[in-house]
Amino acid sequence: MKKKKSDMIMGYSYILPSLILICIFAIIPIFMNIYYSFTQYNILTPPQWIGLDNYKRLFSDPYISSSLKNTIIFTLVTVPVQSIISLVIAAVLAAQFKNKLGEAIRSALFIPVIASAVLVGTIFSLFLEPSGLFNSALNALHIDSVNWLGNGKTAMFSVIMATIWKNVGYFLVIFYAGILDIPTSFYEAAEVDGASALQKFVHITVPSLSHVIYLVITLGTIWSFQVFDMVYTMTNGGPGMSTVTLVLTIYNSAFKGFSMGYAAAIALLMFALVLIVQRLEAKLFDKEEK
Amino acid sequence: MKKDNVILRKFVAAVLVISAIAAVFPFIYMVLISLTQKDTLNFDFNFATMSLVNYERVINNFHLLTNLKNSIIVTTSACIINALFSSMAAYAFAKKDFPFRKQIFAVFIATLVIPGQVTMIPVFVIMRGLGLMNTYPALILPIVNAFGVFLVRQFMVSVPDDLLDAARIDGCGENRIFFTVVLPLVQPVLVSLTIFTFISSWNDFLWPLVIASKPAIKTLTLAIASLKGSYSTNYGLVMAGSTFTFIVPFLLYVFLQKQFVEGIALSGIKG
Repeated sequence: MKKKKSDMIMGYSYILPSLILICIFAIIPIFMNIYYSFTQYNILTPPQWIGLDNYKRLFSDPYISSSLKNTIIFTLVTVPVQSIISLVIAAVLAAQFKNKLGEAIRSALFIPVIASAVLVGTIFSLFLEPSGLFNSALNALHIDSVNWLGNGKTAMFSVIMATIWKNVGYFLVIFYAGILDIPTSFYEAAEVDGASALQKFVHITVPSLSHVIYLVITLGTIWSFQVFDMVYTMTNGGPGMSTVTLVLTIYNSAFKGFSMGYAAAIALLMFALVLIVQRLEAKLFDKEEK
Repeated sequence: MKKDNVILRKFVAAVLVISAIAAVFPFIYMVLISLTQKDTLNFDFNFATMSLVNYERVINNFHLLTNLKNSIIVTTSACIINALFSSMAAYAFAKKDFPFRKQIFAVFIATLVIPGQVTMIPVFVIMRGLGLMNTYPALILPIVNAFGVFLVRQFMVSVPDDLLDAARIDGCGENRIFFTVVLPLVQPVLVSLTIFTFISSWNDFLWPLVIASKPAIKTLTLAIASLKGSYSTNYGLVMAGSTFTFIVPFLLYVFLQKQFVEGIALSGIKG
């Protein structure tokens, strides 16, 4: 009885610091955000209830349709490409290069992961300048210069490229650890049957990794939906609206336009989309596993 | 057949080496440009004229040392607070029995799906209401989240109860058990959590951008973005600033490589 009571006091006092912070920074804000989304709020005067007006505005705002379109394109390209590149490199490293060379390659590919997206965006902006390295390389091949970040068609491609470059090392580490967990007996049995490296990859590595692939795709999707730093640094949404994303529009509406209520509605839209896509991905992978 | 394999293997090795170079080259180029006064971006480097003058300028004229100090204060505090609070809560959830334990833990876990951008506006309003804009606590405290609790708890569960009971019989107080018996046992996961917190805090951008508008409180990552914004054509200067922000994370990575990779990989659990 005495132990129970002391357990209770100690239990509560030990969770208290985290609980307070999580209440202040996650639980209360989510409800505040829902409330703000039904108000007009410029932060200086108290929020005014305007019902569904913010949500109605979402449907007619060209920034929202562009943000949605761009965020979806960004996700649809970034997630598969970064997942496949990192999976293939991880598989090759684990199968053929469990040596010093492989170790050095893994160390090198991880360096972009520890750099901030702002840093990566800054370096890539320089490369992609009209007179930057990419164009010098193209000119050397007798191809005309491209205004990478100044052209609506190539700006999004440039941001995607920089993002993939930064992320590959991260997912590589996750895949590599996953592959090392696959029992070697699987591969030995396949070798006895005379399977080629490609067959082993398709029939053993990929199926055994299905939970890791799910993790990588889900995480990649969440990150992609939240893309901000890279876009802010490289293009700030431009040229025109060709690279505006959902989070950039939330930021601009809230902290440039001081439409906090409207920004809160966009934030909830983004949250809903993230949850829906996560559900869909979970469904998809459940089916495959069965 | 055998010969084909050898050629193929060499080819694959070459592709891998090229991708490793592609990962490292931009950083090398960053450092090289930072040592020059170039106004065109190419491969012509005259090593004889290289100098640290851009670093001098960027440090003297742009308060980068203040930014460095801010980044160090914010990141260190975030790491300590996150590790301490997370392991305290994790210990309680794993080893103590109290009413609503399961429910509270479920709420903690549920908050993990909330993206930071969704809580950003209300947290900004709260911070403003508390008069904490442009202060360290505003930069530090929102870093704490349920992920650390979730992560450390998984390791706490495997701490044997017998060991804790033995310590109790020896007359150890509960707080002492936590600090001298439990924490050392879960040290590896605390290292991972700390590295993860370090990287997310050091590289954090959107939240500092919102809450820290005064130059005196800006972090390094924030400072680089504004440097790039206003001096984008002064390549040497911008690259010197960029290199400067990367020194601390890079050195830590070099010395703690294994822990870094594990720490970052652990964050994968968050999905």
